[in-house]
Amino acid sequence: MKADVLIIGGGIQGCATAYHLARRGVSVIVLEKDYVARHASGVNAGGVRLLGRDMAEVPLSKASMEMWQALSDELGHDTGFRRQGLINIAVDQADMDTLRTREAKMRAKGYSHERIISRDELRERLPHANPDCVGGVTSELDGYAIPYKATSAFRLAAECRGARIVEGEELLSLRRVGGSWLAQGSTTRFEADTVVNCAGAWADRIALMIGDNVPLSHAAPMLMITARMPHFAKPVVGAVSRQLSFKQFGNGTVLIGGGAKGFADRAAGRTRLDYAKLTAAARTTAEFFPIMRRAAINRMWAGLEAYMPDNLPVIGPAVNAARAFHAFGFSAHGFQMGPVVGQVMADLVMTGHSQFPLGAFRIDRYDRKVL
Amino acid sequence: MQAFDCAIVGAGPAGMSAAIRLARGGARVAVLDRGARAGGQIYHAAADSPLSDAAALGPDYAEGAALIAEFECADITYFPQADAWHLGDDGRVLFSHQGDTHELHCREMLLCPGAMERPMPIPGWTLPGVMTAGAAQVMLKSDAMVAEGAIFAGSGPLLYLIVAQYLRLGVPVAALVDTTPRRNYLDAAPLLPRALRRLAMLKKGLSLLHEIRAAGVKTYRGARDLKVLGEGRAQGLRFSAGGRTHDIAADTVFLHHGVQPNLNMTRAMDLAHRWNPEQLSWQVETDAFGQSSVPHVSVAGDGAGIVGADGARAAGRLAALNILHRLGRLPRADRDRAAAPDLAARAAMAPFRAFIDRLYRPTDALRLPQDPATLVCRCEEQSLAQLRAGFDQGARDPNALKSLTRCGMGPCQGRQCGHIVAGLLSDWRGEPPEAVGYYRLRSPQRLLTLDELSRFHAASAQARAEAAE
Repeated sequence: MKADVLIIGGGIQGCATAYHLARRGVSVIVLEKDYVARHASGVNAGGVRLLGRDMAEVPLSKASMEMWQALSDELGHDTGFRRQGLINIAVDQADMDTLRTREAKMRAKGYSHERIISRDELRERLPHANPDCVGGVTSELDGYAIPYKATSAFRLAAECRGARIVEGEELLSLRRVGGSWLAQGSTTRFEADTVVNCAGAWADRIALMIGDNVPLSHAAPMLMITARMPHFAKPVVGAVSRQLSFKQFGNGTVLIGGGAKGFADRAAGRTRLDYAKLTAAARTTAEFFPIMRRAAINRMWAGLEAYMPDNLPVIGPAVNAARAFHAFGFSAHGFQMGPVVGQVMADLVMTGHSQFPLGAFRIDRYDRKVL
Repeated sequence: MQAFDCAIVGAGPAGMSAAIRLARGGARVAVLDRGARAGGQIYHAAADSPLSDAAALGPDYAEGAALIAEFECADITYFPQADAWHLGDDGRVLFSHQGDTHELHCREMLLCPGAMERPMPIPGWTLPGVMTAGAAQVMLKSDAMVAEGAIFAGSGPLLYLIVAQYLRLGVPVAALVDTTPRRNYLDAAPLLPRALRRLAMLKKGLSLLHEIRAAGVKTYRGARDLKVLGEGRAQGLRFSAGGRTHDIAADTVFLHHGVQPNLNMTRAMDLAHRWNPEQLSWQVETDAFGQSSVPHVSVAGDGAGIVGADGARAAGRLAALNILHRLGRLPRADRDRAAAPDLAARAAMAPFRAFIDRLYRPTDALRLPQDPATLVCRCEEQSLAQLRAGFDQGARDPNALKSLTRCGMGPCQGRQCGHIVAGLLSDWRGEPPEAVGYYRLRSPQRLLTLDELSRFHAASAQARAEAAE
């Protein structure tokens, strides 16, 4: 099979990249070893969050957040996005000091999307929060989406514009011969002018095939979801300094995250849960929201996610090969960035440039020795 | 935290038989079971039946009482009303018992999850008033409750058994609507000669049918195109039989067309499974002793492929022998010698099982929903049409379809719809069930309150602190 661009990985980054390329008339193949959205893109917590982003990510994340607001209409398929606002709760004055320091930094950069809220406003918007909490910070554009649906929406929109998605086909080898990339899959050979590596937890292996070495690790952040309960929390809830994170979906189920990690078996594509850590998440949730004590946990799971040492993604061209690009290593907060990353990658593939500053995301940022 | 040589989950015929044999072999055994009293489904409440005349349930049921008595006298740590919600391949078992989570560790694990009824997704199968024949049995066995004037529809020995039990207790039955296709009799005929070697079993089955006929219950054979009548609740059953359409009124319709292994435990443990084309169901892959693809995890009884109560007892004993061997308590030669009678009995039972499987093999028209409006997933209320739309959007894998439609995400964890979804995808993709696969299942195996989970943490931390002292 031949195409202009071969994308490795059918997660949200790969599918969004395929969509943006296909709508500009570029022929695209997405190679996915399992099925679209099988791993982190389909089973993550669905947080669409601009609040609390690393400064380097803010421009991308802001642009992406604007895209999310009308994404279902643009793609013609429901992403499940709901703009509910996000509140990070402050438990004490130390938390409030942290927030004020950040606020000053944000203001200096000209950002105004984060707003500190008082104890009273917190009480009003989250009446079930523990009364000891002293305030918090909010971002009004934030919310949640349904990960599998959102990724699937990009896939369908890309396919509708001519992109080809090949599922159940693993990339075995990749070589640059003359002006093309030759890719050997488990059953089929592919040829393309350009490759884009969106392989998530497996991206370091693809990077190696391209010629780039990168200190990527992987882990299995765990989640649990309750049976339906009466609506008690409209905004998505996090905390400034505690491992608290949950959201109540429209159907009443409550998804509890918090970042605790299980055991990742990348070779087998599987994860195992660490129940001791899940109990800690359960305790924190019940402590902050006593109403959650009687919540019935229905399912627990974990996804395979890629992490960079600085928790910032790799977005940009390969350094050791021509016509190759990377977008991976989102370190458990890449779902929200999917829409904009697709656009950035399409720009890079077609023009070699992006309107966004990508210096912090260079793949070789760990290669440069500082003596 | 307690440590055992072997933890057994499920105290039905397989679990009890295994526990007795393991205890006799000197192993430290823990048995976890959901019920208040041991017995499982088939011997449910056999030890203390609320019925004044439990003999009406038949001699097999009475045999259960003897097994329960032996089990309760053996040197076994028995946790009744214990709900195992996590089984780890590291030998860790987490279970709820009296409102708290407990933890135990074991060297060997034996799963005896038993069978569940094959879902029968005919139009209206989710209406109130429609139940399974198994539910009728549980009501009868645990609460001595019956539904008068009910329709029994479907096929298979368990359906005929419950009808006969009703008749013996003098409960009127509106009709027996038998869906066994006529061609099954032809298909099964070649298997009959070998099955005849188990004449006693065959006679038992025939006498049930004779009993039903003699009682004058209105019986329809070769029934097709079943549909539960009624808006909001069941008011009767429509079906075609003998070249015409019948409408029969009833408040209760019991459906049943066979049982299949309960996969939730074995799937959640990620044991290897295979498709059984004779029984049209997935089952865990085991050796003759029930040892699974994870060597220290064994599975016995109907949970490893339908064998019936006698087969389950044999399987339990065999698993126990192998586990004793693995624990170093029984030399291989002794294990094999002791296993010989049960292995021989199982081999002798196989032709009869094959005959029954073929005779009562359900048709696809009853196994898979036909009407687009029929609900497949009761928890998340997903209809056949909605699933088909998800498939058309590219969700070809059961897990992808689950992610897209929420089918199987509800509190039952896909117990009901898992088999239907796998069957539908196999049908739509034109590929065998093996290629389609099944839901990825996970702990917890039942709903667990956040409070219970958080208190468990405190308890296990305390236990660790005590251990350190």
